[in-house]
Amino acid sequence: MANRTYEVMYIIDPETSADKITKLNEAVGKLIEKEGGSVVRMDDVGRRTLAYPIDKKTEGHYVLFEINGSGQEILELERRMRVNDMIIRYMTVRVDEDRKKADKMRAKREKRAERRSTFRKTEDAPAETAEAEA
Amino acid sequence: MAEKENEMPMEAVLGGGSEEEFGDKMPRRYQRRRPRQVVPEYVDWKDVEYLRQFIPERGKIMPRRISGISAKDQRRIATAIKRARAMAMLPFVSDN
Repeated sequence: MANRTYEVMYIIDPETSADKITKLNEAVGKLIEKEGGSVVRMDDVGRRTLAYPIDKKTEGHYVLFEINGSGQEILELERRMRVNDMIIRYMTVRVDEDRKKADKMRAKREKRAERRSTFRKTEDAPAETAEAEA
Repeated sequence: MAEKENEMPMEAVLGGGSEEEFGDKMPRRYQRRRPRQVVPEYVDWKDVEYLRQFIPERGKIMPRRISGISAKDQRRIATAIKRARAMAMLPFVSDN
């Protein structure tokens, strides 16, 4: 039904071994597929220093998923992440609406820039300024 | 009195993040409007480097009167910063 795009990011305890992390990521991907979603993009960002300590840890392993789905898989995924103690933090952000808005705005801006440049041309003025503003 | 106290951090802010031309003469309190700034159509909360531009040393979100961006853009920037904070990509407070 509803097709939505989400960004799910989670931070894994840095003490977790590398193969455990890959296993976890695979499990997440499988879970999403099983619940009827699809993984658009998976990005293992890797270790990063945290801006502030979480559970007395100063580093974390970041993983980002981009998911297409109905929202049902997010429910299940979040439930699992909550109980998983390897994951020290997670967040889901719905991005499709904001992206749509961004596209709209981009189109609007382009249109305006175009109009400006054509206006300038008819006035026989240089069109470079319009380009610089865009 | 309160306004006077505000003088210092604002100058620090203006001196820090901006690449816009300010001249060497600083207005008495703060620049009323910075030149209009183009904020991208999609503000990515993961783009920490971009968001840092709106965070003075203390870690607070830069007020609109200083950054000079539109109210709409300010809201988008603010939510992005808050999201990044939740994921420990940006500090809630920083001491330096």
